[in-house]
Amino acid sequence: MSESVTREDERTSDPVRETGASHPSVAIETRHTGLPARSDENVFELKDLSVHYGDNPAVKNISMDIYHKNITALIGPSGCGKSTLIRCLNRMNDLIPTARVDGELLYHGEDLYGPNVDPVQVRKMIGMVFQKPNPFPKSIYDNIAFGPRILGMKGDMDEIVERALRRGAIWDEVKDRLDDNAFGMSGGQQQRLCIARCIAVEPDVILMDEPCSALDPISTGKIEDLMMELKENYSIVIVTHNMQQAARVSDMTAFLIVELTADERNRWGEIVEYDDTEKIFTNPADSRTEDYVTGKVG
Amino acid sequence: MAAQGTRRAYQEELEKLEVRALEGLDLVVEAIERASEAVQHSDVELAELVIASDDVIDGRYLEVHQSILTLLATQAPVASDLRLISALLHVMKCLERMGDQCVNIAKMIPIAGHEPPADERMLTDIVTMTGAVRDLVRQAKKAFESRDVGLARDLVRQDDIVDNLNRECFRRAIQIGDSEDRREWAMTMMLIARAIERIGDNAVDVGEQVAFLVTGLFREFEDASHPGEDLASQSG
Repeated sequence: MSESVTREDERTSDPVRETGASHPSVAIETRHTGLPARSDENVFELKDLSVHYGDNPAVKNISMDIYHKNITALIGPSGCGKSTLIRCLNRMNDLIPTARVDGELLYHGEDLYGPNVDPVQVRKMIGMVFQKPNPFPKSIYDNIAFGPRILGMKGDMDEIVERALRRGAIWDEVKDRLDDNAFGMSGGQQQRLCIARCIAVEPDVILMDEPCSALDPISTGKIEDLMMELKENYSIVIVTHNMQQAARVSDMTAFLIVELTADERNRWGEIVEYDDTEKIFTNPADSRTEDYVTGKVG
Repeated sequence: MAAQGTRRAYQEELEKLEVRALEGLDLVVEAIERASEAVQHSDVELAELVIASDDVIDGRYLEVHQSILTLLATQAPVASDLRLISALLHVMKCLERMGDQCVNIAKMIPIAGHEPPADERMLTDIVTMTGAVRDLVRQAKKAFESRDVGLARDLVRQDDIVDNLNRECFRRAIQIGDSEDRREWAMTMMLIARAIERIGDNAVDVGEQVAFLVTGLFREFEDASHPGEDLASQSG
């Protein structure tokens, strides 16, 4: 169950794909209707990663590669460890005293939990956006400028702020009121501000933990459009309970389930299936994935 | 699959949709049997009934199509549910075409006239073809209901019998003689044979949807552009 789901790129070895163009009626495989979702480069490599809170396991034996400039979705029922897993990726679990991470987590080939790694630097390179927008009680401008100032980033601060707000797809809505308090913005605007704040420190990866669950459909649509634009430059990992959102925006999807001990005292998350999103939502390999995405089990 | 756990109403709706769609194949079987009898006995009134009854098949097509649109819009089906809906869309298109072919057959009957058949053997072959395609449609339905890919692939073998009889009809039509009346009768019978042969192909198409539904792969069992390739026996 918890075996590695990392797989070799199949692009050049798949006879169906190779013959598909010249003989389209011979064999059309549903998952091969476009370019392969995954890029060649890994941004993260997880090898038998487990997280415990005290003696209680939260996730066990997670092995997967997360690809560069892809959107990777983590889906699964409540309590399966999606948020725990995503928080491992920028060492947010370090802030929980009882949390313990075992196994290997490589970031661009380097051990993210190595002794010489600075967690603050990690969180600069691997930013995070949370379920509930959490702007600082400051002006829109200062929300964006906060990170670059702390980090002592060089350059014209006005330009840094404008660039981040433009990339966050919110510049046009706030350019005339940069000194207004961020709390006066709508929920959707606040969330895009938080994404812009994350971008302002020029990260490599953006982690999103249910970023749209508190937003209306229009704001959700804007965030999803923004994600599609951002993946040109960033790798994105998103936790979502919205199955259709995972299907719409992500390139790769990992499905996690809750495992229980026989006495049901302990529960933890394990990965069931990790594949191209198109495959997960049209022809999943595991019946448990099938039952979850079709809603046969909750 | 029996509804269980969550989304029970949706699963029941999906199951009902499949039943309504596949019942459409029963309507086609009925139309084929009537058309066959009308050809055999030059029964113009029965032929008119076949033409009128096509509205029932068209109505079923529209009903299932609308239900599919509603399910797509409201339930966002994925995985095997999505494949089922995609397969049912194809099946409905096939059965609507099969109904139209029965109408095409029925329209030929007044043209063929009431005279005794110019070639008794040709008529016998055509009646045999109608029986064969009726069995094909029944088998396609059974394969879909039971998700039986082997039974679906077997449709190709049965369809070959229909194709061979169609070629035999063509051969006999060429040799029918110089009489204008006999040639006109033979031409009419050829159009009927062609319509029956197309029904067989549509039944095979339904079988291909069974394979897609079960495996997630779409493969034509037989490829007209690459004859001779035995795709039906390939795995997948």
